[in-house]
Amino acid sequence: MEIGPIWRAMSRNKTSYLLIAMQIAVTMAIMVNAFSIIQERSRMMARPSGVDEDNIFYLSSIGFLPEFDGRSASEEDLDALRRFPGVANAIMTNTVPLQGGGWSQGLRTEPGEEIESIGVAVYFVDEHGIDTFDVNLTQGRNFAPTEIMMFDPDANGARWPDKIIITQAMAEALFPDSPNDAIGRTVYIEDDLPITIIGVLQRMQAAWKEWSGVERAMLVPMKRKQNSFRYVIRAEPGYRDELMPQIEKMLAEKNTGRIIRGMTTMTETRERSYLEDSAMIKLLVFIVGVLTAITGLGIVGLASFSVARRSKQIGVRRALGATRPAILRYFMLENFLISSVGVVGGALLAVGLNVWMVHAFDLTPIAWYVIPTAMLILWLVGQLAVFGPARRATLVSPAVATRAV
Amino acid sequence: MISYYAKLGLLSIRQNPVLSALMVAAIATGIGACMTIVNIDYVMSGNPIPHRSSLLYHVQLDSWDPYEAAEEPNEPPDQVTYLDGTALLKAGKARRQVLSYRTGRVIQPDGDGQLPFQVSSRSTSADFFSMFDVPFLYGSAWDKAADDSAAYVVVLGREVNEQLFGGQDPVGRNVVMNGDTYRVTGVLDNWQPTPKFYDVSNQSFGEVEEVYFPLSVSIAEELSSSGNTNCWKPVPETTWQAFLNSECVWMQLWVELHGETERSDYLAYLDAYVESQKAIGRFPRPLNNRLYNVMEWMQNQEVVESDVKVLLGLAVLFLVVCLLNTIGLLLAKIMRRAGDIGLRRALGASRNAVFAQYIVEAGLIGIVGGVAGIGMTMLGLQGIRILYGEFDFIDRLVHLDWIMMSTAIILAIVSALAAALYPTWRACGIHPASQLKSL
Amino acid sequence: MLNMKDVSKIYRTESVETHALREFSFDVDEGEFISVTGPSGSGKTTFLNIAGLLEEFSGGTYELDGCNVTNLNDRERSRLRNEKIGFIFQSFNLIPELDVFDNVDVPLRYRKFSSAERRKRIDRVIDLVGLGSRAHHLPSQLSGGQQQRVAIARALAGEPRFLLADEPTGNLDSQMAESVMELLEDINRNGTTIIMVTHEKNLAKRARRNIFMRDGCVSNNDSALHLAASSA
Ligand SMILES: Nc1ncnc2c1ncn2[C@@H]1O[C@H](COP(=O)(O)OP(=O)(O)OP(=O)(O)O)[C@@H](O)[C@H]1O
Ligand SMILES: [Mg+2]
Repeated sequence: MEIGPIWRAMSRNKTSYLLIAMQIAVTMAIMVNAFSIIQERSRMMARPSGVDEDNIFYLSSIGFLPEFDGRSASEEDLDALRRFPGVANAIMTNTVPLQGGGWSQGLRTEPGEEIESIGVAVYFVDEHGIDTFDVNLTQGRNFAPTEIMMFDPDANGARWPDKIIITQAMAEALFPDSPNDAIGRTVYIEDDLPITIIGVLQRMQAAWKEWSGVERAMLVPMKRKQNSFRYVIRAEPGYRDELMPQIEKMLAEKNTGRIIRGMTTMTETRERSYLEDSAMIKLLVFIVGVLTAITGLGIVGLASFSVARRSKQIGVRRALGATRPAILRYFMLENFLISSVGVVGGALLAVGLNVWMVHAFDLTPIAWYVIPTAMLILWLVGQLAVFGPARRATLVSPAVATRAV
Repeated sequence: MISYYAKLGLLSIRQNPVLSALMVAAIATGIGACMTIVNIDYVMSGNPIPHRSSLLYHVQLDSWDPYEAAEEPNEPPDQVTYLDGTALLKAGKARRQVLSYRTGRVIQPDGDGQLPFQVSSRSTSADFFSMFDVPFLYGSAWDKAADDSAAYVVVLGREVNEQLFGGQDPVGRNVVMNGDTYRVTGVLDNWQPTPKFYDVSNQSFGEVEEVYFPLSVSIAEELSSSGNTNCWKPVPETTWQAFLNSECVWMQLWVELHGETERSDYLAYLDAYVESQKAIGRFPRPLNNRLYNVMEWMQNQEVVESDVKVLLGLAVLFLVVCLLNTIGLLLAKIMRRAGDIGLRRALGASRNAVFAQYIVEAGLIGIVGGVAGIGMTMLGLQGIRILYGEFDFIDRLVHLDWIMMSTAIILAIVSALAAALYPTWRACGIHPASQLKSL
Repeated sequence: MLNMKDVSKIYRTESVETHALREFSFDVDEGEFISVTGPSGSGKTTFLNIAGLLEEFSGGTYELDGCNVTNLNDRERSRLRNEKIGFIFQSFNLIPELDVFDNVDVPLRYRKFSSAERRKRIDRVIDLVGLGSRAHHLPSQLSGGQQQRVAIARALAGEPRFLLADEPTGNLDSQMAESVMELLEDINRNGTTIIMVTHEKNLAKRARRNIFMRDGCVSNNDSALHLAASSA
């Protein structure tokens, strides 16, 4: 409409407008990159662990007396736990998804240390493992009770059983060409010990959420003779919270040669595991919110000044035939132009910042639609911010042209 | 005259209370956001042991897999094997050397009613305390003889001593851990290097261990590490002895060296050691040994979270936005009074007089914003404390020391000046004639 | 074509009530050149503002070009101003950020002219006021007389039927005033009705009709005589 003269008028007062445009540009650069990080973190946090997080809790039993017999204690404990009312199932294992610490091993499709191995998280379980974690067995079968290997480090016998169950992601990593016929195939652990895949799980995460192979895990049918171990317990829906103190008490009283520690739910584990990410998201949302508010209020302030400074000229325009909507439009359009310069600069700045952050911090590059979205948001913020002052401008009387000094 | 300008400035601020408040708030939030993150970055990247950090070196030997580096690109493992750790400890080629690893113990208090409780522990040698300059509240470290004879002695952390002995001097008394009786030789005073440089493999900012006892004891007790254990080569047998002889890395080795020559001598010694091991079939990779001093090691291990660095970048930009905002508003305010300024200039006000009048106003806003910014920093740090409340070390990260306090003040003044100077300078540039001519 | 009947205007401030126009009745015919004189505060500007639809009035009726403007809304008033009325102000009122060309363009922008049409009109009026060579100067780069000629060009660009001028020569020296006056006379000869408020009696005399205001009323309809008498 009247872009030409508005633009020319603005270019005679460059610095003020440039300052807002720069402010908008930097705001946008921050907004876009913050949003990109938020998106990445949310995506990460949304990944399912594969286990029944709502009902699982776990605890550690730490035997400290030399005479404490981990093997018989664990057999008794598991027996008692599985019969405990409200408990769906329980196992002794080494860790749970998202917990942060665990055991990893390499598997190869051919024997030999020179063959590249594929890292996989290890969960030591018995035949109740699948049911306790409530993971989804999509192919093959579960371990039979007779297939659970009793491992005693001092006995110096076999180190690994001959059967495992792996996750779909592990099957895909091992057999990229035929991930769906993993059942029955042999892989090699510790360079050359053969092991047969008897089942495939839909999904089960490793204990390390930041690992690139987080979905590669395997269940190993083994009970290790140890004095300290972890019980994972799945409660019947709704019973978890009341069960926890009861079970802690029951276990503590059952054997005084050990202490029970670290009673934790999977829900807490997830929260703690993603604490930094969710805090980062909150911080970024806060930063972007405050920033947008400051920029918006800044535009309100500048527009107010600008209206006050130009009240005479507004009156003159009105005297020369400008309607109120025309005055409103003038200021909205002016703001739109400044914002446009700002968001175009902002787009460049955002991409620049992102390239640097991707390079320096391994962040994911911004998705294409984030930039136009941010542009739209800032345009909108600008228009909203300028609306008040612009409306005030329309109230300037045309008589100002002849009266005001 | 200054009081006259101050009055004009105050008047002008009072005429636009909302806008002045907005400008102050913008500067304050900018500084608050910036300083909050700067402070956290400062604490995280701080020197945990300033007076000795350049004398202490972390030892890395590349004993890893011939087909794959411990960490790309070609980094040696960040811990050492038992074989190498004990060999270098025994050789004693540095002024001091300390081999240690993190373990866990259960203390059985003998007082009735007190239940056994688990503590984090560190298995190490006597030099640990002198080398890392650990302060003692009671007693002292155990002596070298205790290391050699695997004596059951223990140094307690201050809190454990509170719990067991009510804070009394326990030296010479006994503590039972996992069924074994240890004699207390000392109690640590408050000690918390940040970051916990001597073992960053777990939580770089975690608490130090609660009790300390000889490495020789924990080896005899077959205590495995509660930190990371990494193996590239299968351990042929499952016995403890086989594990000790394996290529698994799980211990941290630090040495004390004074000066560049000692460092290069020690590095040469390490190379010679590795060569000798190659001769017996170990160390399949090319020579790749490292000696980093404390700060180099902290850098190498990237103890400062990358989130903090990202936030730092964003916070600096945040401050930029806030300053641009304030500069823009001040400029607009001044330009609106351009006619007034031109008139004053025409009536004989000097450039300096105009400068004085507007710098007072702009400076006032800047300074108030800066002071409020320090308040905002504290608020921001409180917010961080709440947000990351589950991390027990967060209190240490949100502590504002006097250096950061003065940095905040300097940043506030610089920001204030930056925000004030440009608009004032523009005000001074207004020509006496220009504004009288047209309207 | 401009008929005011019993128009009054009262300004109210907290303390006083000013009767700026008292039952002011006045008629203007097509093509007239009228000068308005009177002491300061007598209501000249008020009259002009009401005539030019810049201000509303408190009572009476006002017909402009046969159209009763009493109950028009803002948009219609703006359109009338834009299409039928041109303004010239004592203090020129050029927009400082816009150059001569863009200043003249301002009223045209509020009409649906093609850009070629606008350009044609702007070039014509700028040439008419003799500033063809300065089309891209800013107001601050022009003398007062030149600025006022730009203002006149701006008033003429929309080809208004009325030209309202409030002390158009008030800020100019006599030579400049003369040239502006000649320009106005030229414009009037081409058929534009002009109402001009002025303090300068010899300029007022050159108008075809003069009214003299006092206290918000036309004090003497035969004001030319009055003028002649007072100047004698
Ligand atoms: N907005 C207003 N509010 C209150 N009173 C006003 C307002 N505008 C004008 N007046 C009063 O109305 C009266 C007429 O003013 P007007 O401007 O019409 O005088 P004028 O004849 O143009 O005088 P001058 O020759 O000095 O320009 C004056 O007494 C003035 O004080
Ligand atoms: Mg007047």
